[in-house]
Amino acid sequence: MKIKHLLLALSFVTAPLGHAQTLESASVDTLSTVEEELQTDDSNFTFTESQLGENDDITPEVIRISSNSNVYASQIGWTWSGIWFKYRALDNAYNDVYMNGVQVNNPENGRFSYSTIGGMNDAVRNKDDVSPFEDNNFSFSAMGGSTNYNLRASQMPAGHKVTLSGTNRNYTLRAMYSYGSGLSKDGWAFFGTVGYRWANMRTAAIKGTFYNSLAYFLAAQKVFNEKHSLSLATWGSPTERATAGASTDEAYWLANDYQYNPYWGYQNGQKRASRVVNTFEPSVLATWDFNIKEDQKLTTSFFIKNAKYKSTKLNYSGTNPHPDYWKRFPSYNYDVWGREGDYNYDNPAFWAAYDNWQSEPYRQINFDELYFANTQLNKIGADAIYWIEARHNNHLMTNLSSTYDWNLKWGSRLSAGIQLLSNRGSHYRTIEDLLGGQYFHNTNTYLVGDYQETSTEAMYDVNHGYQKIIEGDRYGYDYDLWNQDLRLWASFNLEKGITHSFVAAKMGGRRMWREGFMRNGLFQDNSYGKSGKARFLDGGFKAGTTINLGKGHAITAGLGYELRAPGAAVAFMCPEMNNDYVQDLSNEKVFSSDLGYAINNKWFRLNVNGYYYRISDANEWQQFYNDDSNSFSYNSLTGVEKAYMGVELGLRIKINSSLDVLALGTYSEAKYTDNTDVYWMSSTTGKINEEICHNKGMRQSGTPLAAASLGVNYRINRWYLNLTGNYYDRIYLSYSTNMRYENNLKNAGRFHAGEYDVPEQAKGNGGFMLDASIGRQFFVWHNPLSVNLQLCNLTNRRNITTGGYEQSRSNYSVTETEGSGTEVTTSPRTYNFEKNAKKFYAQGFNFMLNLNYRF
Amino acid sequence: MKKQSYIIALVAGVFAFASCQDKDWDIPEGIPYGNNSLEAGTTVTIKELQDTYASAISSDNYKQITDDLWLRCVVNGNDYGDNLYKQLSVQDETGGIIIGINGSDQGAFMPVGQKLLIRLKDLYIGGYGNQAQIGGLYNGGLGRMEITEWKQHVRLIMDGMAEAQDFGSMKVDTIDFDPNKTMAQQAGRVVRLSNVTISREGTPIIAPDDGSVSLVSNCVNRKLTGGNAGSKCVLRTSTYAAFKGVPVPTGPVELYGIATIYRGTWQILARTQSDLTWVK
Repeated sequence: MKIKHLLLALSFVTAPLGHAQTLESASVDTLSTVEEELQTDDSNFTFTESQLGENDDITPEVIRISSNSNVYASQIGWTWSGIWFKYRALDNAYNDVYMNGVQVNNPENGRFSYSTIGGMNDAVRNKDDVSPFEDNNFSFSAMGGSTNYNLRASQMPAGHKVTLSGTNRNYTLRAMYSYGSGLSKDGWAFFGTVGYRWANMRTAAIKGTFYNSLAYFLAAQKVFNEKHSLSLATWGSPTERATAGASTDEAYWLANDYQYNPYWGYQNGQKRASRVVNTFEPSVLATWDFNIKEDQKLTTSFFIKNAKYKSTKLNYSGTNPHPDYWKRFPSYNYDVWGREGDYNYDNPAFWAAYDNWQSEPYRQINFDELYFANTQLNKIGADAIYWIEARHNNHLMTNLSSTYDWNLKWGSRLSAGIQLLSNRGSHYRTIEDLLGGQYFHNTNTYLVGDYQETSTEAMYDVNHGYQKIIEGDRYGYDYDLWNQDLRLWASFNLEKGITHSFVAAKMGGRRMWREGFMRNGLFQDNSYGKSGKARFLDGGFKAGTTINLGKGHAITAGLGYELRAPGAAVAFMCPEMNNDYVQDLSNEKVFSSDLGYAINNKWFRLNVNGYYYRISDANEWQQFYNDDSNSFSYNSLTGVEKAYMGVELGLRIKINSSLDVLALGTYSEAKYTDNTDVYWMSSTTGKINEEICHNKGMRQSGTPLAAASLGVNYRINRWYLNLTGNYYDRIYLSYSTNMRYENNLKNAGRFHAGEYDVPEQAKGNGGFMLDASIGRQFFVWHNPLSVNLQLCNLTNRRNITTGGYEQSRSNYSVTETEGSGTEVTTSPRTYNFEKNAKKFYAQGFNFMLNLNYRF
Repeated sequence: MKKQSYIIALVAGVFAFASCQDKDWDIPEGIPYGNNSLEAGTTVTIKELQDTYASAISSDNYKQITDDLWLRCVVNGNDYGDNLYKQLSVQDETGGIIIGINGSDQGAFMPVGQKLLIRLKDLYIGGYGNQAQIGGLYNGGLGRMEITEWKQHVRLIMDGMAEAQDFGSMKVDTIDFDPNKTMAQQAGRVVRLSNVTISREGTPIIAPDDGSVSLVSNCVNRKLTGGNAGSKCVLRTSTYAAFKGVPVPTGPVELYGIATIYRGTWQILARTQSDLTWVK
């Protein structure tokens, strides 16, 4: 009897909420166990390993949207994961993630990294997803939706479970084991899971990569009585993985491989990856659930995470040693695009480069040569010119959260919460491997020439002088970024007549600062020590309603407006060098609206939604090599104006008890609505320049802006079969700001009669993909064994683009500065950067076999 | 209890299996640059080579070397300081010559002092402004050879290798610049200029790119006078040189560099900042 009370109490504590519930009763979503396993396992796989920012070249992470009430939102994460589909083309920063009510997004960039919960699928199955205009009892829902993971041990499934998987994707093998005790009579519950994912250089789907990830999750909960419960959870997934890079179509063609990866090479005949990511984000979450009264509860959580992130990269001070460096391509020597100025026709170098590319060692990194160069330089006491660097982005985050929830007797609910957050982001660079070299000096090589190598100006750290750097030493930059937030929110919903409505509001404050640990030679007075503190006050409101028209028909509507404080990641002009804030830094303004129509009956479930978001005064930040100034540059785009709009369709038709059909579709627009002011700083002068970026009309990249799918699900006698066809289109690549700077357009001869001829944004290929799944549940020793096989891209379409970016280089070189230096002369380059965007392509046919055994 | 033991063993096994894949890597053995299979045949000296092709050199023409000739030499200048661009300067006891190679970082692979065995057959030799140069064909004229071709024609000889003995006492040496010497006597050698004054036009750094001095192929030619400079001698420095920001001295100084000639004017190419002795 006691345990029954406890479970009753817990069910209240953890119950998900949403006006979606009004439409749930007639749902035709009756996933079989096998089907559910398939979807949850695979979606975890695809999201955590393929998409979520695990590759430095992939622009912002996708949102793992789901919804309890919307067919479209609940299915796209699973159905369109293979193409890196982004919900409403939004950056992951617009999706809020909570754990037991405490927000876990990194405040520095606003994002949550799903890779931190990879390999612990059984622990993160229990969650509450809400779309942007669904009310809930844990947050002011974000414009890209919100998710609250319930990590209480008592809510985890009891018993043992073993999962074994084989696939030909990022990893080859996966093994997971989990055990849940359930809630004991004396109020204790325990849960633990451990998982391991593995691939080596021989088995990984993409050459030159490997995957090595361990995951653990441990949770305990003590339910003291009907009023009080304490739970504790800790998890982490130490991971080591080699990443793959995007390349140009020319490289893919020459290598005859759409999965060509330029980031690896041979050393002593063995494959070696140059870009290896090591992550470990041990986290601890403590939660006190207090049932104040039968209809009131208070959930208080404390979260702490000590995240370590290290990403290696081949760096150099000599010639670029990357095999897909533009000067190594045949088209560097001969104008394959047939423009004017084709003066290198019949150049033997064109054919020599072509012949070279036929050899695999040539189109990969030649580590042996890099070592040899460094050891030769050792003989004359010179600095190493090639090395592997490691960029560290560590975070120590603490967050205290308290949420009050009052289930009012007259059919309404009031929720409110407070969050106190502190995050210290530590950013520095170390030498991982000197590749046979002895040392090099901690100097800004971009400055050497303008300043003498030993000059104070060229020193990265004046406090240590002309300093020799060896393996393990920090060099280049070393600084902390601090974010501290105080946030309040409240939500009130009301059932009245045929309507279910809610209003929500939030407000908060943020302060941030930088603390530098190197005194940069160009900024000796404002690089070492703490910067001034920047403070922002933000907030917003949101309202939504569902009007039930009867017979399963309903109209939904939502409207919101909010101010979002910038994160420290975009707040500083050049955090690697000094303490200066971006000029004109301000809150981002977000208007959001959504209108939907839903039908929900026994055989038919339809959602049609239209949305319009407008973002104003946003801040963006980039760094890249600027050809026109012959220097590395730090670029801040301020006052960014964007609009997101589109229509979405989700339809599930139940033909009979075994067969249903699912249709999904969206057509959207996500683009810059005006040109943007830019401040950029040159690493060779330290001076800030003003520019205008002609980015009006540029689209959000790395996601199809049009997608559709039609799928059939068949379930009978514990079998589950699915066949889904997907079509993707309007895939844009990340545009180059540098190519569209006003002065650079003039240099490129793209200014005529007062008009700028702005280059079209590069696009990727869309296309059709066919996926299938088959699953069956058996009983072995009276316990269920689920077997799932997922077959993706059955037609082996390998030329569908999943993302990429335009290169930031110019089609001309600045040859001479005349007179005052304000006018330049240029000479055209044979190589055409505008035609050579770097792209990622979807994997061809791939599969995943999954076995789950519960006992 | 037995089940728990299995589970503990499973978990322990997973932890044990999860070892690091990106291991500590050993330094590769061998010489991955050049053609290690080359064995010297009939060798010539740089002087003999220049004498053989003297007419092609003096007329700014070129010829392909068709005989199976081999050259033993030592590197005395390269692109380490970013002043020699895609050029290697080599010498033996008899003279020096420039080799044009379409590749960068030659200074790292072939530092000053590196012994080279070069198979000359099929390469081109000729003159550019009367400066002797070995290279390849480019747009119908003498230019740089492709790096892949160069690697097929060169073998790096390390101290301690048996082949090093064939070089005898060959090493990089410095001679005093003499404006009256011929190209064959002095070009491609490291020379010393003493008590010379460097012209100070424009911004007073060695190679300004701010428009204050006119550039020739992205280089600044500063006239050298006094001392042993003679009347037609310049210090030629690229605006991409690592030491382009070195201040121009006000008085006479000593400097070093590779001597090259261009249509009767000696051009001195400092290799690194240390060739400019007034810089501390």
